[in-house]
Amino acid sequence: MPAGEFMIRRLRISGALVMIGLLVEALCLVWSRPIAFVVLVCIGGAFIGIGVLLFLYSLVSAAPHPTDSAGVVRDKR
Amino acid sequence: MPTIAIVILVLFSAILAGVLVVRPSITVSRAGKILAFGVLFFLPLFSLLAGMDNEMERSKSTAFCLSCHIMDSYGKSLHIDDATYLAAAHFQNHRVPADEACYTCHTNYAMFGTFKAKLGGLRHLYVFYLKKMPLPEDIKLHEPFNNRECLHCHLGARSFEQGATHNADPATLPAIKANTLSCISSGCHDVVHNVGHWGNNVKFWSEGN
Repeated sequence: MPAGEFMIRRLRISGALVMIGLLVEALCLVWSRPIAFVVLVCIGGAFIGIGVLLFLYSLVSAAPHPTDSAGVVRDKR
Repeated sequence: MPTIAIVILVLFSAILAGVLVVRPSITVSRAGKILAFGVLFFLPLFSLLAGMDNEMERSKSTAFCLSCHIMDSYGKSLHIDDATYLAAAHFQNHRVPADEACYTCHTNYAMFGTFKAKLGGLRHLYVFYLKKMPLPEDIKLHEPFNNRECLHCHLGARSFEQGATHNADPATLPAIKANTLSCISSGCHDVVHNVGHWGNNVKFWSEGN
């Protein structure tokens, strides 16, 4: 799979995870029951956390841009 | 921040995240990359923290504590028309904020007290959902009530410092302040909620009467 497609796939997954987490959070905020806080943190927080971590991981693991490589070569000279 | 504002922020963030799911190609441009960082990093974390803070604040409210039906009797005890009932006297005379009555007395005024009070609340949830619930009259405090919670408000107050009973014996006041003589369980202010021991003649006060 090309690097661009792989990145887009990860973006989609992390976006979906964050969206699910945020929707769970919105439900918990309007649901006035004591368990709402636990659901917000354990389920909503987990989805958001995993989504954000996946996004950050996809950034650091992305293949370097060609212009970045050129910059490295220029610096070495 | 009001709950409705946080809900709007959360839904707005969810919609933006949905846009990225449907159209991830917008991240090709520089503006799209900045948007993706905001939507997949900054906004979700901010929304989560704001939501947690809102829930923590809500968990301090009297209505929140009384939303479990096992606490009904304790809520009712706040309306007993008898000044010897400590909780009722504090609630009805606004010695504690009426909308945070439970939290004000049952929190812990030491370092990380609010955090410890919330952990105690989690234990309540655990018992409520996963264990056999005790009868309301069988509910006990996790640990003996510390005078520190009373002195948080009463220390320095004229009625406390110069009260006749507190000064009848010169050793009483220092003992109360050192928590060696309990306000609640030493027989002085021991009628608090007394759930299960009200008898038939108990009357209830209602606001407006």
